[in-house]
Amino acid sequence: MSGLAPFALEAGIGVVLLLVFGAGLLARGEDRRFVAWLATTGVLAVGVLAMLARPAGPALGGMFVQDGLAIFAKRLFLAATFIGLLAGLSLTDRVFVRRAGEYHLLILTSLLGMMVLASARDLILLFLAFELMSIPLYVLAGFLKRDAAAVEASLKFFLVGSVSSAVMAYGLSFVYGATRTTDLARIAAVATAGDPLLTLGLVATLVGFAFKIAAFPFHMWVPDTYEAASTPFVAWLSVAPKAAGFVALFRVYFEGAGDRAATWVPVAAFLATVTMLAGNLMALPQQNTKRLLAYSGIAQIGYMLVGVAAASASGTAMVLFYLVAYVFGNMGAFLVVEALARSEGSEATTAFRGLAQRSPLLALAMLLFLLSLGGIPFVAGFWAKLYVFWAATERGLYWLVLLGALLTVVALFYYLLVAKRMYIEPPDRPTRVPVAPTLALSVALCVLGVVILGLYPKAVVMAAMRVASPLF
Amino acid sequence: MIPFPVLSVITWAPFVGAVLIMFLARHSPLAVRLIALLTTSISTVLSVFIFVVYDREAAGFQFYEKLPLVPPLGISYEVAVDGMSLLMVLLTSVIIFAGVFASWTVKSRSQEFYALLLALVTGVYGVFVSLDLFVFFLFYELAVLPMYLLIGIWGSSGEVRPRGIFGWAFRETGVGTKEYAAMKLTLYLLFGSAFILVGIFALYVTAGTGSFSFLELEATTFDPRVQFWVFLAFYVGFGILAGIWPLHTWSPDGHASAPTAVSMLHAGVLMKLGAYGVVRLGMGLLPDAAVELAWLVGGIACINVVYGALSAMAQTDLKYVIAYSSVSHMGLVMLGAATLTEAGLNGSVFQMFAHGVMTGLFFALVGLVYEKAHSRAIFTMGGFGRAMPGIATAFTVGGLSSLGLPATSGFVAEILTFMGAWRSAHPWWLVPAVAGTFLTAVYVLRVTKQIFWGPPSPHFDHLEDARGPEWLALVLLTGVIVVFGLVPALAIGPVDTATVPILTRMVKP
Repeated sequence: MSGLAPFALEAGIGVVLLLVFGAGLLARGEDRRFVAWLATTGVLAVGVLAMLARPAGPALGGMFVQDGLAIFAKRLFLAATFIGLLAGLSLTDRVFVRRAGEYHLLILTSLLGMMVLASARDLILLFLAFELMSIPLYVLAGFLKRDAAAVEASLKFFLVGSVSSAVMAYGLSFVYGATRTTDLARIAAVATAGDPLLTLGLVATLVGFAFKIAAFPFHMWVPDTYEAASTPFVAWLSVAPKAAGFVALFRVYFEGAGDRAATWVPVAAFLATVTMLAGNLMALPQQNTKRLLAYSGIAQIGYMLVGVAAASASGTAMVLFYLVAYVFGNMGAFLVVEALARSEGSEATTAFRGLAQRSPLLALAMLLFLLSLGGIPFVAGFWAKLYVFWAATERGLYWLVLLGALLTVVALFYYLLVAKRMYIEPPDRPTRVPVAPTLALSVALCVLGVVILGLYPKAVVMAAMRVASPLF
Repeated sequence: MIPFPVLSVITWAPFVGAVLIMFLARHSPLAVRLIALLTTSISTVLSVFIFVVYDREAAGFQFYEKLPLVPPLGISYEVAVDGMSLLMVLLTSVIIFAGVFASWTVKSRSQEFYALLLALVTGVYGVFVSLDLFVFFLFYELAVLPMYLLIGIWGSSGEVRPRGIFGWAFRETGVGTKEYAAMKLTLYLLFGSAFILVGIFALYVTAGTGSFSFLELEATTFDPRVQFWVFLAFYVGFGILAGIWPLHTWSPDGHASAPTAVSMLHAGVLMKLGAYGVVRLGMGLLPDAAVELAWLVGGIACINVVYGALSAMAQTDLKYVIAYSSVSHMGLVMLGAATLTEAGLNGSVFQMFAHGVMTGLFFALVGLVYEKAHSRAIFTMGGFGRAMPGIATAFTVGGLSSLGLPATSGFVAEILTFMGAWRSAHPWWLVPAVAGTFLTAVYVLRVTKQIFWGPPSPHFDHLEDARGPEWLALVLLTGVIVVFGLVPALAIGPVDTATVPILTRMVKP
């Protein structure tokens, strides 16, 4: 049995997958939402299991590691998936009720891909996991198949995604050519800093990662996909695959690289600069809240890249912390949009008018999420920004920190516009906004995350430091 | 025995009040006001208490408290006051105590209003008493952020519509509306705080002591290049809050749109917080850069004095006159500091106090006048002195202090600043400073004459004087102006003990 210990979580998800698949086959009738409950409970159970997981030695001849970083990442994926599925339980559209089996099967498959990705220490496994994660996402983006916008978004997502996967595979082949191995540990050992073939390969690979995390020139799929797809899915899409992308990024570029990691400082700093600039500036004119959050999400990725640009153990740890804060803040904001869209039938920012007087708690939750995303003290996002800036300061990137800090002011402008609609403008009608209990619970979980991390960030920061330091 | 944590009580009492208001006083406006009054009274009584018992012989930081928060990073909750922060704490107490009375008549959503106001006050106290730069920054943000909602929800939009060749652009962007003012103010101040944060980080990293404590950083001598850039960062960051030209434009809009108590607090205390930051962190930690850049600070301060006064002369909206006069007077504060002389720096700190009380009084009065007459347009009003003699008297006292009449606190502050300027390396600074005072006399007397002492305006009837709690606010603020004008040594004594060490560090041994 000890041979299976490293795979316990993946096996768990596999069991849930099979159960959902079986239940989907056996289900009869129009209402098949019990499958959704099954999947949600299953993810929760695996999540509890993940809390108990301990690092184990490498398996499959070193291809698969269950180290601290992998466990940290998997807990994050599971938490995000649980919140996303919980919020999706109350979806009543016919397509979600009738095809709950397919929907959850796809999400779980993608989750399995993420979890394998977090543990992959071999180029082939890495690429496989990447595709296992991505392909279900293309389908999910077009899940509302009668909706032309969703199909368009899905197609766009798919085309950009497969091109970037191809470039990534091409890059990985150069890495193999330069080092004659697919084992990341051996690549780190035999690599020399100046090898042009290796550099070329790694730069091409970076394109794949940049697409997955939606860094600037590869971000085009984000707003359209987010706008067209169903919101609970988008909430999850906006955080979990990105977290997975960052973890894989650390594995390929930093793990075992030691001082050579510093060669990536200029590239990462450049990507961070353009991503922060583009995300923040393009968010300014948005009138649709989901598009606004899409662009603000791109800007958030830019801030995480500031931490990557530090190319140090503390930088990596701070990005991990940032991801945790981002999961709660961003998912929470999307879920409030979902709650409002269900009652108002609109995703425009004007739907938020007077929310503070209609549903004070919902407005307060949204305000907390916005403040967290904006990086205001006493909520999670502040520490996240502070810590990545800190890491970048240690690397001497003062200009990048100053730019990032100034761009937070731009970001606050568009976040405050939503706050203004909620708190300052009068409501269009006085009724409360009804929120389904499961959706309310998932919003509450996000609020808890944002507030607890804001008041007591230490535990998570320390955990992130512990798992990041062995990489260097 | 643990000594009574007097500074923590002063700082956190309003915050506790805010929490109580949010949870206990849901449907009772009177309970909201009583809780606010009670908690601010606690702070006020205690700040008078520490002002009295502060040991002027021993000087330095007193009432010290320390509680480690994040030991590995050297962040701790560390508070103490010296002569300078002592006076600022007293100022905050005076203004908020008067402010609670001045906003007694807030009608809509008063629960949230008082809760935000009190949270803001905790931030202000916290900035003045913190010795740990990181905690200082957290308090600073707490003092800035509630402002957005306070102005956006309870503010008022200007009555005078934009005219002139750029009128269309102003109308397009909503200049003069409360939403515009709230957004502008928040973004400007957060823009400033970005510089402050980077500056604090740079000091922390280059000092290498692994501590954010002011006392430890003060003992470090920084490289001149680091000093230069960090001083600039602090100057821009805090200077925005202090209203330095040309980054002052948020202040007239913000102060004119804010509700009475918020204007009082913002113009009276928060702008001082910016000047305090420049003196405490800029000059206190970076003495060499302060000497090197004194020409810049002083030169811009001169522009502030004259530009602010000229702008105030051109306004037709009463609240904008007061708001621009703040820009002018903050110029005097910065000028006094830039002289780097004992008299000038004392004058600067004293001016922070004097102007804080005076502008607090002004905004309280403008609020009262608006409440009674429903107008802020200067030239429609007239002869209010007959109907509201109390308000007229208080306004005149404030005005006389503003233009620096002897026996008011404004006089003491200005004469010290002028003496400092005369003895500084740039005696010509005296010219714009005195010119500014002259212009102040012009606009203050013009407004006072028009509104209170001129012939009665036909547009208004049934005007009333101040009532009940409003009297308390007026008497308190006017009294402070006169008392500190007659006995300036009350404040100069402790302030001197705090400013001299800063100046001694600037002289190379």
